[in-house]
Amino acid sequence: MPWDLVIFYMLAGVCILAAGGVVAASNPVHSAIFLVICFFNVAGVFVMMGAEFLAVIQVIVYTGAIMVLILFVLMLVDPENLPEFHQGRPVQRAVGVLLGIILLLEVSVAILNRQVIGVKGNATAQAIDAVGGNTQALGRVLYSDYLFAFEVVSLVLTVGVIGAIVLALPERLGLKTLPRRGTISLGHGKGIDAEAIAMGPVEEMPMQPVAKDVIPKATGGRRLVMVKDPDEHTGAK
Amino acid sequence: MGELGVEHFLFLSAALFIIGMMGVLIRRNLLIIFMCVEMMVTAANISLVAFGWENDSLDGQAFVLFAVAVAAAEAAVGLAIILALSRRVHSVDVDEFNTLKD
Repeated sequence: MPWDLVIFYMLAGVCILAAGGVVAASNPVHSAIFLVICFFNVAGVFVMMGAEFLAVIQVIVYTGAIMVLILFVLMLVDPENLPEFHQGRPVQRAVGVLLGIILLLEVSVAILNRQVIGVKGNATAQAIDAVGGNTQALGRVLYSDYLFAFEVVSLVLTVGVIGAIVLALPERLGLKTLPRRGTISLGHGKGIDAEAIAMGPVEEMPMQPVAKDVIPKATGGRRLVMVKDPDEHTGAK
Repeated sequence: MGELGVEHFLFLSAALFIIGMMGVLIRRNLLIIFMCVEMMVTAANISLVAFGWENDSLDGQAFVLFAVAVAAAEAAVGLAIILALSRRVHSVDVDEFNTLKD
């Protein structure tokens, strides 16, 4: 058995096992790690086909950017909201496996009886070596034949970024940015001042800071500091 | 198949695609369904590169580069939608998203 075939079977075997792990793992974080393993092996398969640039892109974009994004969202979702995998739904799982096996048989027949052979291109190994390598050759193709598509892709990425920001914003952002008004009391452990709360917010009359040597009885002997704005006390302004 | 041919890569691509499809059909967690969709996109990329490798062409690799860029944009928008949905419904279970039905 030639060596390239051995390496291919190793890469493909680990890749398919990891892909099965993505589907079978009950913990979503384990699924994400299985997916990283799967994508690394796909990058190895790309190298076997002479697509070194795409192998690097696969690692950077998929296992780097997209997986980090998925893990971030996984952390932002409350774990109590994650549905359980191993419960019920035998019909759904049986239908899924059955459809998968049927599709695999169909695709196998199609691959083994393949008749259509494409027209040979001019990017032979010698031609790619003459340009300087896979990256240089792909760059020449991208910036000549696919220049317009390249620009359109940059537009798609820009729109995608803007859309992601708009969609991920909290729905009622305006309520969060209102200025804070009220009292804080440093004399109490949790910063709650019962007397000031009972008095309610005072809009017109600005609250006066209590003099240092006067200790009201309501605070239980501790000094009460009343400010209109929380930042006023810390001197942040 | 004693020699490394395009059929090997096509079978790997088919296997990855079908495992991803089974994941989409079986699982109910929206994030895992999303990962399986990414896996199916990668399977299609393997097929494109394999056909280009068979025919000494770089067009397949150029297509895969565009597909990866679109998949990155799709991931950003899709995950933002999942985040907004989980904030509103407090779940990422696809069976919970039945507002139109009720």
